[in-house]
Order: sequence, then C-alpha cells, then structure tokens
Amino acid sequence: MATPYRHWEILERSRTGKFLDENDFLPKVFSPTLKKLIKKYDIKYDPKTPCPSDEGMADRIWQAAWDLFRDVGYYNTDSHRIIEIADAEIKEALYMAQGQYTVGGGREARVMKHRSIEDTQPPFCIMSPDITVDEKYHQSMCMAYLKEPLLDGLCGPILEETFGHLIESGGPSEISGCIQHIQNQKMAARLLGRPGVFMVAVGTAEHDSGQIAVSNNEWGVQTTDARLVGSLTEFKTADTLLNRSLHYAQYGSFTGNLTGAIYGGWCGGSEGTAITTVAYSLIGLVIHGAMFNQHFPFHLNYGSNTTRELLWSIAMAGQALSRNSKLLYTSNGFANAGPMTEMLFRETAAHALVSTVTSWQLWEMASTRNKYRNRATPLEARLGCEVGHAVARQGMTREQANEIANRLLAKYENNAADAPMGCEYHECYNAAKAVPTVEHMDMFRRIKDEIAEMGVEFLY
Amino acid sequence: MSLEKLCKLIEDGDAVEAKIVTGELLNKGVDPLKMIDSLTKTMAHVGELFAKLEIFLPEIMLSGEALSAAVDVLAPYLDATGGREVKGKVVLGVVKGDLHEIGKNIVKLILETNGFIVKDLGYNVDPLIFVKEAEAMEADFIASSSLMTTTMPRQLEIIEILKSKGIRDKYKVVIGGAPTSQMWADKIGADLYCYDAKSAPELFSAALAGK
Ligand code: B12
Repeated sequence: MATPYRHWEILERSRTGKFLDENDFLPKVFSPTLKKLIKKYDIKYDPKTPCPSDEGMADRIWQAAWDLFRDVGYYNTDSHRIIEIADAEIKEALYMAQGQYTVGGGREARVMKHRSIEDTQPPFCIMSPDITVDEKYHQSMCMAYLKEPLLDGLCGPILEETFGHLIESGGPSEISGCIQHIQNQKMAARLLGRPGVFMVAVGTAEHDSGQIAVSNNEWGVQTTDARLVGSLTEFKTADTLLNRSLHYAQYGSFTGNLTGAIYGGWCGGSEGTAITTVAYSLIGLVIHGAMFNQHFPFHLNYGSNTTRELLWSIAMAGQALSRNSKLLYTSNGFANAGPMTEMLFRETAAHALVSTVTSWQLWEMASTRNKYRNRATPLEARLGCEVGHAVARQGMTREQANEIANRLLAKYENNAADAPMGCEYHECYNAAKAVPTVEHMDMFRRIKDEIAEMGVEFLY
Repeated sequence: MSLEKLCKLIEDGDAVEAKIVTGELLNKGVDPLKMIDSLTKTMAHVGELFAKLEIFLPEIMLSGEALSAAVDVLAPYLDATGGREVKGKVVLGVVKGDLHEIGKNIVKLILETNGFIVKDLGYNVDPLIFVKEAEAMEADFIASSSLMTTTMPRQLEIIEILKSKGIRDKYKVVIGGAPTSQMWADKIGADLYCYDAKSAPELFSAALAGK
C-alpha cells in the first residue's frame, strides 16, 4: 500500500494543523478555491459530449485537483483542524503507488490493474447492490451476485436487522449484524465454489467498531479482502473514519476510499465535480493509504449519476487520473430507475460504457437512487459488466462511446426526475434459488439486443 | 440606487454591496417593509433556481448571506414597525451515530432563507442535546435528520425524552431524511414529516398554525 508509513504523521496533523471553524470550511475555503481553479485552468462542461475526448482538459483537471487538495487540505471535524499536505508528499505517494494489486485468495485471486484510456484490457468488475435488504433475502442476494460470471469482487447487501433485532448504529446489534453479514457472504462464496473470491466488506458497519469486529482471517474479513473508508462531503474527515484507515493498514487488508462528490452541492457543476473526484483519489492515496478509490459522484436532486452532466464528470475524471497516475479507481453507478425496468438497464449500460472507455474499473450498480430496501439485483450489474468487457475488447473509442451514450440518454434522460421504481429483489428473482425470473431475463435480453444494435459487440 | 439593484445584489450574493445599498435606500426614505417584501421574493426566486439546479449550493449560500446582511441593516426599522416576521425557531441536527449531513445542511439553508431562525446542532447529535438546546433557545421546532434505519430510533428517543420531562407539547417535533416516512412519523408520534427541503418552510408554518 502506498502510505501507511506516513499514517502517524498525518494523524498528528489532525492535532497540530491550522484551526478553522467547521462552518467556514466549505463556504469560505473549499468552494471559492474550487471556483478559482475552474477558471484558472479553463475547465468547461459541454452538454453535447457526455463522453468527451479532450486530453488537454483532462490534464488541466488533474492539475486543478492537485492544487485543490494542496491548497484546501483535509478537514478533521473532531479536532477542527486542517490536515495539510505538501507537493513533495503527493509526489512521493504517487511514486510509491502500485499500478496493480492481487486481491482475493487461492484460485479466485485476481489482479486489479491500472487501465489506460480506451484500454482493451477489461475493467475489474466489482458488483454490489449498494443497498439494504431484508434479513431473509440477505444470503440469497449474496449468492445471486456470486453467481455472476464476470464478478471479480463482491460488496454485499447491507443488513438492517440481525435475528430480528434492529441493528442500531454504534451499538452491540451492529457488531452482531456485521459478523452475520460477513459470514453470510463467505458461506455463500464457499457453497458456490468460489471460497477465495475478493470481497469489499462489510457495508453493515456504520461505526469503526463494527469494522474492527469483523477483521479475522479464519471467519471474517480476510487480509485478501478490502474495506472502505468514507469522506464527509466534501473534503472532511473525523476520528471515527481515521480509526478505520489506521485499522485496515494495521490489520493488513486493502483499503478503498469511498467518496461521492455531489453535483449541485459544494462542488458546483460538472467541472467542479470532476475536479473534486480526482482530488479525492489523491486524498485516498495520501491520507488513507488506499489501494483503490471508489467514486460515486451524484446529482444532488436525483441521487444518480447516469445523466449527462454526471457522465461528463466521470469521463473527464477518469481521463485525468489515467493520463497522470497509475492509480486504481472504480466507477460506481447510481441509477434513477429501479430493478426490472428498461430504463435501469439503459442507464447501467451508459454508465458502464462511458466509464470503461475512460479507464475506470467498474462497480455496478446502485438502483432506484440508492434509496429503497431490496431494490437492486445482480442482473443490472451483469449488463453493466458485459458492456464493460465488450467495449474494452472491441477497443471502442471515446467518440463511438459518446455517440452510443447520447442515443441511450435520448431514451431515458427526460425521465430522470420521475423514474419508475421497478421491483424488489424477490419480485424479479426467485429468491430461493437466487436466479432471475423468466420475465426479468427476457427484458435483460431485449435491452441487450438493443444495445448490441447500437454498436456494442457482445461475445455472447 | 434602486430596489431592483438591491435585489440583483442579493441574487448575485454580494453581501458587502447589499449592506451599503440597503443603507442608502433607507436614507432615501424607501419603506423598509416594501424592501423586505421584495427581498423575500428575490430569495424565493433564488430558491427556485436552486431547486432546479440552475444555480448550486455555494451560490444560494452567498445569496442567503447577502440577504442576512441586508436584513441586519433593516432590523431596527422593522422591529420598530413590528414588520420583521420570524416564522419560527428551529433546532436542527443529524441524530447520533449518523454522519450524513448534506440533507440537513440544505434544510437549514432553505429554512433560514425563508424566515426561520435555525440553530444547527451539526451531526452525530445525542437526543438529549436536541432537547436541551430547544429549551435553551425556546424553540418552536425540534427537527432531526436520520439517513439510516439504524439511527432512526434516535428520533423516537427525542420524543421519549420530551415525554419523560413532561414537555412533549411545548415543541413541534419534525423528522426527515431518506429512510424516514410519514408512516415512521405516525409510529413514533412526530408532529411532522418532510419528504424534502423544498416543502419544509410551508409545512413548518402550517404545523405551527395548527393546520
Ligand atoms: C452521500 C452518502 C454517504 C456519504 C455521506 C457524506 C456526508 N457528509 O453526508 C458517506 C460516504 C460518508 C457515507 C457513509 C456511509 N453510508 Co451513506 N449514503 C450516502 C447517500 C448515497 C446519499 C445521502 C445524501 O447526502 N443525499 C442527498 C441529500 C440532499 O438528500 P437527503 O439526505 O435525503 O436529504 C433530503 C431529504 O431527505 C430532506 N431531509 C433530510 N433530513 C431532513 C431533516 C428534516 C428535519 C427535514 C424537514 C427534511 C430532511 O431534505 C433533504 C433535501 O431535500 C445515501 C443513499 C441515499 N440515497 O440517501 C447513502 C446511505 C444513507 N448510506 C448508507 C450507509 C450504509 C453508509 C455507511 C455505513 C457505509 C459504510 N459501510 O461505511 C457509512 C455510514 C457512516 C455513518 N455512520 O453515518 C445507507 C444506509 C442504510 C441504512 N441502514 O439505512 C444508505 C441509505 C445507502 C444504502 N441504500 O444502503 N454515505
């Protein structure tokens, strides 16, 4: 990992850095600095190209992101102080970063490798519903995802209850829920014959104690797995978060840096969202010692990232990161529509297509604005990952991807605000067998044919 | 100097100039009540632009600050004429165990720009703190945000503490946040549930008026 050797120095800066009232940090420091940088580096959003190919602008976004992190720093809300980082430290961390890691264990071990723009190497595919499920469907859903052939890693559904007890954040029920979560997931992997499969776990842990409780190579989250540490939007952290990154490093598992820059919020528009996303990758590397960055920029009102203003940010951030670093970063899709709707399949395809050609690894797919229990299934993730593999293999260019993205957008973007909610998992999957219903599969095939017709060359 | 110019300054979020121009207009004898009326309309317009994301959070924040700067200058005149309407006093925070603060911040902004006084308690706030702060501020509303099913029980605890202290009816208890619902509000006996920030000012006012 890149920076555990600096962890202590960084933690100390939480105590010794410049004092600032939290209320002033975003309006007086973050947003004005970002605004100036957008102007200085002449970053401009163009709604006509959801998948742009302006490499000069990509490099300027990289520079702006670097300046943003160095000039603004990272705010610790517990100490009310700013962790500041110098240019040389960013350079050192980037030099030390590895362009690839082997994750997962035994036969299921996989390499996650930095991708170039329009790379023909397929993206690393992490699948996740990103959502909570009823306890009775938890294991079934884990199974259903693990049955996906293209899955390289699993981030399982989140539990709200454990043996009938409501899980309460920070309390004992959370510790139990976290153990149940990882054991369900590991058991599903063993039953399916993929015991070593890479996992990002556990989402049920809302508190650092929940994460720490499941670190165990015999029965819990293994050192071949990864865990996430979030940032408080934007550019803020807290001791409970720093506790996680320190623990992950000390335990020896992989760290993923979880961030969702918000379009319409403190970042402003598409330009600021792209710059902030890139800057978060530097934060992940330097502050949290992250092996990969898990980005889900999203629209403040819709809670999605499949409309053109967000696709643009994703495409530009990917190109900036690819051209200027060897970092690893997953693009986490957030759709407006719910499971078993044509709209969700189209949204997922557009997200995966644009992300893949602009160098991202894939993390598919949060459905229904990531808001409603049981509303996500592996089938949309399958479509996203099949699209990702196909467009990489055929060497699709950004121009082609842009054209297809525009055609897909034309079919759904007007419905972003009032997207259909679709079904719950057990309504479009046979939960006992963890397989999609016939009707669901039919819709999948129909939309896949439609996308193939647009120029995506699926192998099967 | 015209009232239109002042409104434009509010829209552009220029607090420094807005303050100066407000003073000038007062000196010229423009009616402070008329001024506050125009400014409120401007802010409502800014709010609409933000709701459609034609402008973004930093811009509406600046407009809010410019409005506050102008209202500060007007305050002594308005208080004299009884024209400064405070629609209600609110303590607002995200419940204990929950770090999701974005929604709460937007609610704060929308309430403030619509004439409510808001005491922001931040996030990860103990239920008892909500109650103590409400007492200290003599608030009308105790409003809490929860973004996780695992922290929703803290909203119920606020109500239980109020009952234990025998002061349940002194406050309107409001809840919000993505996983919460009217059903949850009914279940825990909250006075009001808001689906989003946009609808909050009107619903708060209606709740206070007992509608
Ligand atoms: C952004 C986000 C994060 C960010 C938060 C950054 C921050 N500083 O706020 C980060 C990355 C840090 C994060 C962390 C986590 N998150 Co999170 N996150 C989200 C996400 C995607 C969006 C939330 C958001 O900001 N929306 C935008 C705002 C504008 O909308 P809003 O909050 O709903 O507010 C609006 C209305 O609800 C209303 N409103 C809100 N509050 C109030 C209050 C009142 C009084 C009123 C009147 C109105 C009102 O007005 C607002 C504007 O209209 C949600 C999913 C979702 N769709 O909600 C998950 C979600 C909330 N997270 C979730 C989880 C599980 C986590 C983690 C545990 C992940 C992990 N394993 O580490 C941690 C928990 C950390 C903690 N202890 O709190 C789950 C919760 C599941 C559950 N149990 O219910 C969700 C629901 C995702 C999911 N579907 O599974 N997350």
